[in-house]
Amino acid sequence: MSFLKPKDIIDQGDTVILYISINNMHAIDVNPTILNKKGETIENVFQTTYGALKVKELIGVKYGSKIKLSRGWAYVLQANPELWTQTLPHRTQIIYTPDISMILFQLEIKPGSIVIESGTGSGSLSHYFIRAVKPSGQLHTFDFHEARAEQAREEFTKHGINEFVTVYHRDVCQHGFSEELNGKADAVFLDLPAPHLAVPHALKALKDEGGRFCSFSPCIEQSQRCCEELQANGFIEIQSMEILQVEDIVKTKNIPVMDLEYLKHKKPTQPAENNEVKDNSDSKKETNAKQEREIKKYLTSSAPPTMPGHTGYLTFATLPPIYAR
Amino acid sequence: MTETSTIKVGDYVVIQRQKYTKLHKYGSLDSIVILGKQKISLRSIAGQKYFTTFKMVPNEKNPKSGFSLEVCSEAEAKNLRDALNVQECGTDNRNILDDGESQGLKADDIDKLRGECSGSTELIEKIVENSKTFTSKTQYSQEKYLKKKSKKYCEFICIRKPTIRLLSEIYYRQKPEEIMGIRMDTLSQIVSYSGISAFGNYLLYDSGSNGLLAATMLNSIGAGTEAKLVNLHPGNEPQKQAFLALGFPQEQASRCVSVNIYSVLRQYYQGETTLNGTEPVAAGSKRKPDDDENAPVEEKRQRLEEPNPEMVTIEPKTEPTDKKLKWQLENERAVELMKGKFDCLVIAAKEHPQNIIKALLPFLKPSRPLVIFNSCREVLMDIYVDLKASGEVNGLRLASNWLRSYQILPNRTHPEVNMNGNSGFIMFGYSVS
Ligand SMILES: C[S@@+](CC[C@H](N)C(=O)[O-])C[C@H]1O[C@@H](n2cnc3c(N)ncnc32)[C@H](O)[C@@H]1O
Repeated sequence: MSFLKPKDIIDQGDTVILYISINNMHAIDVNPTILNKKGETIENVFQTTYGALKVKELIGVKYGSKIKLSRGWAYVLQANPELWTQTLPHRTQIIYTPDISMILFQLEIKPGSIVIESGTGSGSLSHYFIRAVKPSGQLHTFDFHEARAEQAREEFTKHGINEFVTVYHRDVCQHGFSEELNGKADAVFLDLPAPHLAVPHALKALKDEGGRFCSFSPCIEQSQRCCEELQANGFIEIQSMEILQVEDIVKTKNIPVMDLEYLKHKKPTQPAENNEVKDNSDSKKETNAKQEREIKKYLTSSAPPTMPGHTGYLTFATLPPIYAR
Repeated sequence: MTETSTIKVGDYVVIQRQKYTKLHKYGSLDSIVILGKQKISLRSIAGQKYFTTFKMVPNEKNPKSGFSLEVCSEAEAKNLRDALNVQECGTDNRNILDDGESQGLKADDIDKLRGECSGSTELIEKIVENSKTFTSKTQYSQEKYLKKKSKKYCEFICIRKPTIRLLSEIYYRQKPEEIMGIRMDTLSQIVSYSGISAFGNYLLYDSGSNGLLAATMLNSIGAGTEAKLVNLHPGNEPQKQAFLALGFPQEQASRCVSVNIYSVLRQYYQGETTLNGTEPVAAGSKRKPDDDENAPVEEKRQRLEEPNPEMVTIEPKTEPTDKKLKWQLENERAVELMKGKFDCLVIAAKEHPQNIIKALLPFLKPSRPLVIFNSCREVLMDIYVDLKASGEVNGLRLASNWLRSYQILPNRTHPEVNMNGNSGFIMFGYSVS
C-alpha cells in the first residue's frame, strides 16, 4: 500500500526501501513469512551485506528510522517511484528518472490526466505516471508479453495503486489501443521497437481537444521513422532531444604546495650549514615542515568515471485540437 | 487538457508566431501585443477558442498604426509548403547564382502586393512565381527559402493557453535570470525528486522564479485534490506571474499558502503576532539580494509588482481592528501546516541556502525528499558537505543536466548546432531520523 500517499509507519504489506548506502538499496515486501522453494511457509529473513534482517520486525517502525542488521545497520525509507526505479526487479530495459521527468513534463501530465503507455515493460515509468495522474486520472498500459503484463498488474496491486491503472495484454502495433479508448487520452507514450506503427493508433486515442505524444527510442532510425509518421498524421511541434544527468562527485582534496623559492637563496648562516653532506637530511625535514604548512584544502567536484552516455532519443509532438488539425 | 476552452478577457495567453512564443496578459479588449516592431490589437481573440490561428491584417485606415487579427481558415493556416504544393526541385544547387537578381520583385513591389493580395498565401505564391531560381533550387534550400519568406510575410498567429511547459520555455528563453536559470529538465526533476502529487503537504522556499516553482508544484498537486503547498518567500508579496498565468481554479489556488518566511517563522516560534510585531513588510524589504547582478532586476520588480511598503503599512489602520488581514490568516494556515510537518522540502534560493535549510529542515517529516536548486555548483558543494556531516539526510546526490536537441529529417539528422550548457544544479536526498 506504500505507493498511494506519504505515510509515517511501516505496515504489513508495505514495500519499503532498505537503505544501506547510496549504491546499496533493496526493496523489501514487509511480510512476516514467505514460501520457500518447497512451498513451505517460513520466516521472512532478508540477507544483506551487513547481515540478516527479520522482516517482521519492520512492522510498526517509523519510516526514516535506523534499524539494526545482524552485522550493521540501515535506514528504512518509504518506497516511491525514484527509489523503486533504482531497486525494481528488471524484466526489460527500463527508463530512469532523468528521462522520465522530462517525459512527464513534456507530456504535461497532472492529476486527472488520461495516459496511454506501451510497453509496460518493468513498470518503471508506469509508477511515475500513476503518481502523477492519481487520484482522478488513469494510466492505460499495454504490453504484448503476457507474463510482463501480469507481473505489472500484481505489482500495482501490491503497491496499492491498482485503481489508477489498467494493464492490457495486447500488441498495440497490430491492434491499437482498443475502441473504448478512442478519443480518451490526454497523452500517449511509446517505448517500442517500432513506434511508427503505433502512431496512427495514437492519433485515434488522443482527445478531440488534442494532446501530447512522446516516443522513447534508443536508435535514431526509429525516431526518424516515428517523426515522419507523426508529420503524416498531422502532429505538430515535433521535437527530439536527448537528456543526460551528470552527477557531481563532491570530495575534499588536500593538495600539497611545493616551495621552490627557498632554493634560490643560501640559508642564513647556521652552525650546521658548513657540512653540506650532513645537511641533506636536515633540509628534507625542513621542506617537510614547509609542506605541512602549505597544504591547500579544496572542495572539489568531478564527474563519475563512468556515466550513462546514451539512454534514448525522446521525440515529442502535439496533436492540435480537432478544429485546428 | 483544457486547450479547447475559450479565450477570455483577464486570461494570460501565449502568443505564438511560428516558433516564437510570448506570454501576454489579455487585460482588456484594447490589449495590444508588440511582436518585433509590429503592434497587434487583440480585440478579436475574445470568445475564440485557444489554439485558433489568426491572420495579421494591417489596419485599414492607417496600415502603419499596426495590425488586427482575423480568424483564418485552416487550409490557410496549414503548412506553407503544402499550400504551395512545391514538388519540382533541382538535385543540388550548382546552378544557383546569388546575383541579387534572382527575386524578380523588388521590396517596393512586395509592399504594394501586400496591399493587393487577399491572403498571405497568395502573396507568397506571387513571390515564388517571381523567383527565377525557385524551381531550380534543391528541396532543402526551397524549404529554407520559404521559411525565410514566410517569416517576413506570412503573419499567422496562434493563441495558446499557458501551460507549465510553454511558460518555462518562454521564461528560460527570454529572461533565464528571472527564474534563477531553472531549465526545463531541471524543473522536471525538481517535480520528480520532490515527489509532489495529489496527496500530502509540501513546503517550498522560493526567492524569485516569477512564481514558476509554486505554479509547477501546484499543477502537480492538481485540481480537486487534498494536497497543500506552503510557499515561503522573502519579500512583501510572492512573485506570482506564472501562477496567475496558469489560471488555477480558486479551490486549487487557495491550497497554495504564500507567506513571508520571516513573518511565519516568527509567528511559529513566538506565537500570535500583534500588528506592530509582525512587520513582514519591513523584514522583507530590508533584505536586499547580496548578488549584485540580480539587484537591479529585483529592485525594479519590487517597484513594478510589489506593493509599496508604505502603502502596505498604512493599510492595517484602515482595516477594522477585529478583522484579520489576509496575510495574517495565511500565516495562521501556514503555522498550522508547519505544526503537522511536510512531505517534501524544496529550496530555490538566491540567498545562501545554509540557514534556510537549518530553519526549514526541522519541518520535514522523516523519510521525505529534500530538493535544493542552485545556479552555482559551489554553493551546493558546501551544503553537501554540511548535510553529509549532519547525518540528517541520506542518499544525497548533486547533479546537473545535459540536454541536446536534434534535427530529425530524412538524410539530414544531426544534433542542433547550438545547445544550452547551463541547466543549474540540483541536490536531493531523504530526511532520516
Ligand atoms: C523497453 S520495454 C519498456 C520499459 C518501460 N518503459 C519501463 O520503464 O519499465 C519495451 C516493452 O514493450 C513491449 N512491446 C514491444 N512491442 C510491443 C507491441 N507491439 N505491443 C505491445 N507491447 C510491445 C515489450 O514486451 C517490452 O516489455
